[in-house]
Amino acid sequence: MADLYPSLAQCAIVAAAFKVLLFPAYKSTDFEVHRNWLAITHSLPVQEWYYEKSSEWTLDYPPFFAAFEWLLSQTAAYADTAMLVVKNLGYDSWQTVYFQRTTVILTELVLVYALSRFVKSTPLPNKQAAHVASLSILLSPGLLIIDHIHFQYNGFMYGILILSIVLARKQSTLLYSGILFAVLLCMKHIYLYLALAYFVYLLRTYCLSLKSVFRPRFGNIFKLGFCVMGVFAIAFGPFAQWGQLLQIKDRLFPFSRGLCHAYWAPNIWAMYSFADRALISLAPRLGLPVNPDALNSVTRGLVGDTSFAVLPEITKEYTFILTFLFQLIPLVKVWFNPGCWDTFVGAITLCGYASFLFGWHVHEKAILLIIIPFSLIALKDRRYFSAFRPLAVAGHVSLFPLLFTAAEFPIKTIYTVMWLVLFLFVFDRVAPVPERPRIFLFDRLSLLYLTISIPLIIYCSLGHQLIFGWDRLEFLPLMFMSSYCALGVVGSWVGFMVVYFTS
Amino acid sequence: MAPPTPSSHRPRKKRKVAISPGSNNNLILDLGDGKQSPAFPLVSFLWAARAGVSQWLILPLVLMAVGLFRWAVSLWGYSGFQVPPMHGDFEAQRHWMEITTHLPLAKWYIYDLQYWGLDYPPLTAYHSWLFGKIGSTFDPTWFTLDASRGFEDPRLKVYMRATVMISEYFVFIPAVVNFLRRYTRIQGVHAWSASIALVAILLQPANILIDHGHFQYNTVMLGLVVASLDAILAGRMLWACIFFVGALGFKQMALYYAPVMFAYLLGVCTFPRINIPRLVSIALITLASFALLLAPLMAGASNADARKAFASSPVPPLLQALPIMLDKNSVTYGLLFQLTQIIYRVFPFARGLFEDKVANAWCAIHTFYKLARFDATLLQRASLGATLASIVVPCAIIFRHPRASLLLPALSAVSWGFFLFSFQVHEKSVLLPLLPMTLLLAGNGGLSKETRAWVGWANILGSWTMYPLLKRDELRVPYIVMTLLWAYLLGLPPTSFEIYRSRPSPEDSNAYLEPRTLTTLLHLGFYLAMIAWHILEAFVPPPPGKPDLWVVLNALIGAAGFGIAYLWCMWKLYTQCRQISRQITEEESQKKKQ
Repeated sequence: MADLYPSLAQCAIVAAAFKVLLFPAYKSTDFEVHRNWLAITHSLPVQEWYYEKSSEWTLDYPPFFAAFEWLLSQTAAYADTAMLVVKNLGYDSWQTVYFQRTTVILTELVLVYALSRFVKSTPLPNKQAAHVASLSILLSPGLLIIDHIHFQYNGFMYGILILSIVLARKQSTLLYSGILFAVLLCMKHIYLYLALAYFVYLLRTYCLSLKSVFRPRFGNIFKLGFCVMGVFAIAFGPFAQWGQLLQIKDRLFPFSRGLCHAYWAPNIWAMYSFADRALISLAPRLGLPVNPDALNSVTRGLVGDTSFAVLPEITKEYTFILTFLFQLIPLVKVWFNPGCWDTFVGAITLCGYASFLFGWHVHEKAILLIIIPFSLIALKDRRYFSAFRPLAVAGHVSLFPLLFTAAEFPIKTIYTVMWLVLFLFVFDRVAPVPERPRIFLFDRLSLLYLTISIPLIIYCSLGHQLIFGWDRLEFLPLMFMSSYCALGVVGSWVGFMVVYFTS
Repeated sequence: MAPPTPSSHRPRKKRKVAISPGSNNNLILDLGDGKQSPAFPLVSFLWAARAGVSQWLILPLVLMAVGLFRWAVSLWGYSGFQVPPMHGDFEAQRHWMEITTHLPLAKWYIYDLQYWGLDYPPLTAYHSWLFGKIGSTFDPTWFTLDASRGFEDPRLKVYMRATVMISEYFVFIPAVVNFLRRYTRIQGVHAWSASIALVAILLQPANILIDHGHFQYNTVMLGLVVASLDAILAGRMLWACIFFVGALGFKQMALYYAPVMFAYLLGVCTFPRINIPRLVSIALITLASFALLLAPLMAGASNADARKAFASSPVPPLLQALPIMLDKNSVTYGLLFQLTQIIYRVFPFARGLFEDKVANAWCAIHTFYKLARFDATLLQRASLGATLASIVVPCAIIFRHPRASLLLPALSAVSWGFFLFSFQVHEKSVLLPLLPMTLLLAGNGGLSKETRAWVGWANILGSWTMYPLLKRDELRVPYIVMTLLWAYLLGLPPTSFEIYRSRPSPEDSNAYLEPRTLTTLLHLGFYLAMIAWHILEAFVPPPPGKPDLWVVLNALIGAAGFGIAYLWCMWKLYTQCRQISRQITEEESQKKKQ
């Protein structure tokens, strides 16, 4: 029965072949960022890692990631020593490119391993669905665009996240799950967004008795507390010793940035900005005051403060309160369903949603924080799948602006379209019938949404230039895409909330 | 049990998974206790499709996937990048776009011949004109006359790469898809097995590396040839002529296939009974297509301006050799000048026997016994004689048995013959014999171990002989990746030796489809030699005084392998022919009994 072909390894091999061919593709400043970190960690004593600022791309990831870079830099010396010189800003000899790109491909093996563990841990009737979901993550256009073209190490870190989620499946490995997540937090602090789900789940399922909330399991509490504290102590202890914690805090959380990132991540604030833009033309008729300073900011898409012309300004506090609030709601269910792994993964997904939709200065890349955990449960039944569908389209399409060079245009579009056609079709075949009826309207809207994407992608990528030329109304396609994607992400969030609480 | 289902609750039908026979292809290995596994990795990638998934889904996915690999290869270097003053094939193609869009038709074949003068047939010229015009709307500076020579810009590279891609997706890919559909139906091959063969054929490394890496438009010519084969399978001989003339008109290299096409078409008109009207209509339509092909250039040569241009250009030797004297101001003179000039440009008789180090017989002989001592005309005659000797048998077979199913082995054998013995062969010409040989994968038993081993081996050897060329273009990484990927997908060495391992199958009916010991030894020997050569080439500097030693060694091994490939195709042709005639006699004897 279990015909799990093609296997993960086979897909990984073919995907790796494709990724090697992408070596000479466009690379963003993140490539230089990581090269610089290799240089910093290789040539400076640990005390200076978080103070070095020859490059504008200072080290702003937690210590374990710096240690990871240090490890890589040990082999980098064999490839090209010049890349390890801090002053060599913007250095990109072919050895450097080959080396750094290769490390991304090789560290992604962690993801392959995690996914194979995920398939193994799934009980037999759902094995095929789990296998398909794993393939969809392994071949994700998001990882291809962000890691293998744009340049980052997400595949590696999402591998750790998935491993930790899989370990949370069994009571016996819960402790390791918690430790692994703590390690992950010390590599990239963006995963703090998911920490609340882990906290509630581990607290309820590991630290308290499954039967009653009032019977704490002190042994477990001690083990977990000791291990997690230990991980953080290893990561931050030395820096605390040297009195550098405040400096690290400033590096990790640069709050001087604006509400929206360079390109609009498709979240609530993008819709808010869009509404604000739309209101500018209506404001005189409605008698609303217009802030003249704001008239030229958002559509240009520059990093920095977004100021709104008509609608009230958004402060950091608002975004925190909203994020926290919407993270708490799904956690209630985790609390009342101890030991339910599906609920836990759903809660992780919803925490990802809340932080992506309401967070401060959200990157479009953070969409993976939703897509990847969601993929693990998207095939639970067809209702989950229909909430996943718009997210899969919107989330991946929203990554397109990351790559703007002509040579990469066919790669990002064709790869994403291929992935969408293949996996949405296969998911549709594999997802089982739900126990409860589907929501008719939601299904139809989701279908309509998918249909619109095709003409929209064509218009934004080709049609606009043909109609208006290269430099007229150039913000229009970006704005359409951003609002369309925001609609998809918000829609799938609402849909998933409903599915989550009714199943 | 029937749950109370609301209207929106659509019960899903559980489809019965039908295991396809795969027609002698042994795609599914039976592991016993009801478990099955794919025979090689490519099968496993299409595993889910074996239960009869719509072609409307599989085909777009396959075309997107192979397109991605093509485009990814095109991100790498191309021939002549930053190598002034002449650059390479990329600059040649760009230069043709430049001259065809800016000059009158009369000057196309005579303009500054020292700098990449046009030396491809007219269809290439029109193709260049079309893409030159389109490209000029993006940025006219890419193709400014003379000023744009050696122009290198990332956006121009993307545009040129896109033209190759578009040409391939308009010609080669539809032709291959249609051909395979018809061919597999005739051969009784299951659609699933056909899809697998399609992926294998479209990922053929040599084609991708030369067209999308090195930079050429071979797939247009190859696509027209495949379209012509498709027309033959469909029984539309006249369309076959038109497409084949198109292929010849795009790249003269299609001549490698011409003897077989000629023998086949002649055979169709002769056997089983002589069919004169058919012969006449084939001849007429061929002539008409040639006329149509040349018409624009001839029209461009008929006015006074054209004659003025011709007057200032050297007279083509062919025109000088004509016994009649013509008035230089007559229309006929202009037309003849243009025609002879095109022929003179397209067929470079004045060049040597072989160029560079190419894996054919002449280069191999030359290594041990210098051929330069002989007169050029003698060598030309020897080359002509050897080529004719190598192709006469397959052509005779095809003429006597004009059957569509024999075309592929005959085309491979003849084009191997040409590659090995003819005049002025490039290493890139290996694409020609490889195409029909690779198409054999789609036939009955084409994906069985035996055929797959031979076709795979020839393809890998073919890409390997092009390595010195690819290395010059900074295409080492794509070469390694694409060749290994293909070997991996088809389960070939160096990634897997499964193909040479004999597995006793339960019914033992397919024993003849398994490679024999001699094949195994031969192939493994070649694979070992290729790997050893790569190690030598990478780590050991050639001895002083013999800087080309490794390249020569590559050509020698390649020539030996291609000779074997030629013999295999001949043997394949012979056995298939035998099989067909046996079938015919059986059918006849059955008829007599009835």
